[in-house]
Amino acid sequence: MAAMGPERACDWSPVNVGATAVGVAERDALGTTARVVVWPPNRTGRVLAAVDAELALLDEQASRFRHDSEISRLHGALGRTPPRASRIVSEGLAEAIAVALAAAEWTGGLVDPTVGGAVCGLGYDRDFAALPQVTDEATRPEQGCVPGWQSVRLGGRRLRLAAGVRLDLGATAKGLGSDRAAAAAAACVPSGGVLVSLGGDIAVAGEAPLGGWPVLVSDEPGQRGPEPGTRSAGQMCPPQEPLGQVVRLPAGALATSSVRCRQWRRGGRTMHHIVDPRTGLPAAGPWRTASVAAANCAEANAAATAAIVAGEQAACWLAAQGLPARLVAHDGSVHLLGGRPAADGGLVEVPATARMPAAPSGRAEGSGLPPDGLSRPARPHRVP
Amino acid sequence: MEHDYPEQPGWVRLPGYEEDPRYPRGADHSRDYRRGAGARVSGVRRVRQASNWTAALLIAGVAAATGYFAHHAPPAPPATGAVNSVPGGTAAGVHKPSLSAPVATSSGSGVTVGTGPGGSRIVTYRDN
Repeated sequence: MAAMGPERACDWSPVNVGATAVGVAERDALGTTARVVVWPPNRTGRVLAAVDAELALLDEQASRFRHDSEISRLHGALGRTPPRASRIVSEGLAEAIAVALAAAEWTGGLVDPTVGGAVCGLGYDRDFAALPQVTDEATRPEQGCVPGWQSVRLGGRRLRLAAGVRLDLGATAKGLGSDRAAAAAAACVPSGGVLVSLGGDIAVAGEAPLGGWPVLVSDEPGQRGPEPGTRSAGQMCPPQEPLGQVVRLPAGALATSSVRCRQWRRGGRTMHHIVDPRTGLPAAGPWRTASVAAANCAEANAAATAAIVAGEQAACWLAAQGLPARLVAHDGSVHLLGGRPAADGGLVEVPATARMPAAPSGRAEGSGLPPDGLSRPARPHRVP
Repeated sequence: MEHDYPEQPGWVRLPGYEEDPRYPRGADHSRDYRRGAGARVSGVRRVRQASNWTAALLIAGVAAATGYFAHHAPPAPPATGAVNSVPGGTAAGVHKPSLSAPVATSSGSGVTVGTGPGGSRIVTYRDN
């Protein structure tokens, strides 16, 4: 790996991806792994500093695992004030909440930032690394109430929450973080490009390498990760055959949501972190993993999570939105949609414009998932 | 550029038409003189015009050559370490890399793929 330059941040580790024309570094961030890829590599140090600043800002604003984050303080403060009291939030948090509300409207409420209370009730109430390492079979999961995104009012920086509402921006915040970090990083590379990945939610900016950024879309087919209760951070697995599909991303973003990671057991049931707002319980649809490409990562992130929650309707909705997607069913079968290449190494046709509205347009039903019978039939082709 | 300089000591005047054997003294040669003077002026003008055109052509030629080489210059050698760069072309002359192996993984947060010794693939499951 090439030298990173004089401004290299100290807690990033260089990563060998077998190419010296790019600088690659990785570190833990936001409860997951952040990876940055830069060309030309001599700009890596400057880029990492810019990414550091964006990640730190987002963590301070929107992390529900930090007691001193703005959103945690907001929850605490609103719990002590009269119902429907309003607070002025920072511009950054206002943007994060606005993106979450836009995603909720766009997906017809299948991605809902008010699932925070339900997620905590299921046991995911702290950083995943800090969850009990042994299975908790005795404690029954509490089916949480999801107040609904319409109960959140945001006007500029003024936020009004109904009593007891806890926000979880997890379905969009990582994507937003990738978008922010990639934009900030690209400003450091006037003639080059960057890729920023936050836990697999990838945004690219600047100029892509020839043929696009090669990205592995993974679902571990045929391979099971460590069982819940036996996992350990950073567990190494032996070298394996390709776990998924390599695609090339020319622009925009690619995000994956999966129920196969961040699992835990409670009350005799396997839990995962994607909660269906309609039930307050982990989503139980046919897809275990959804990867979606979109113009920006917040949108891709929201669409991938919505696909997991939507279940059978996901393929129709994604096709109607014109978003390339790869859905993996629980039986391991892979379904490709839209401009998703079937061949390994193919170029993803990323939409040039965003499908998700910039901000919620109102309280009426949004352009969410079409009801059965009204949806345009879109049969995904099945990959053997 | 036509100046009449005052004569200086030591200067020798070139023979004028009065001394020219073709124009004997006493005859009226004013017509021939005017014709000669006119020819001289027009000759100077012609030379000057030719000079201007030459300069203009030279400037245009240099500009055209500069533009040509700016757009058709052979690729610069790759930067140190950029062994897998190929000419792609950017405004600043930095060439786009061509990457063959995946540089990132999109999965449910927790799976990353790296390259180990000998180019082997290493899959790392990370839950935090």
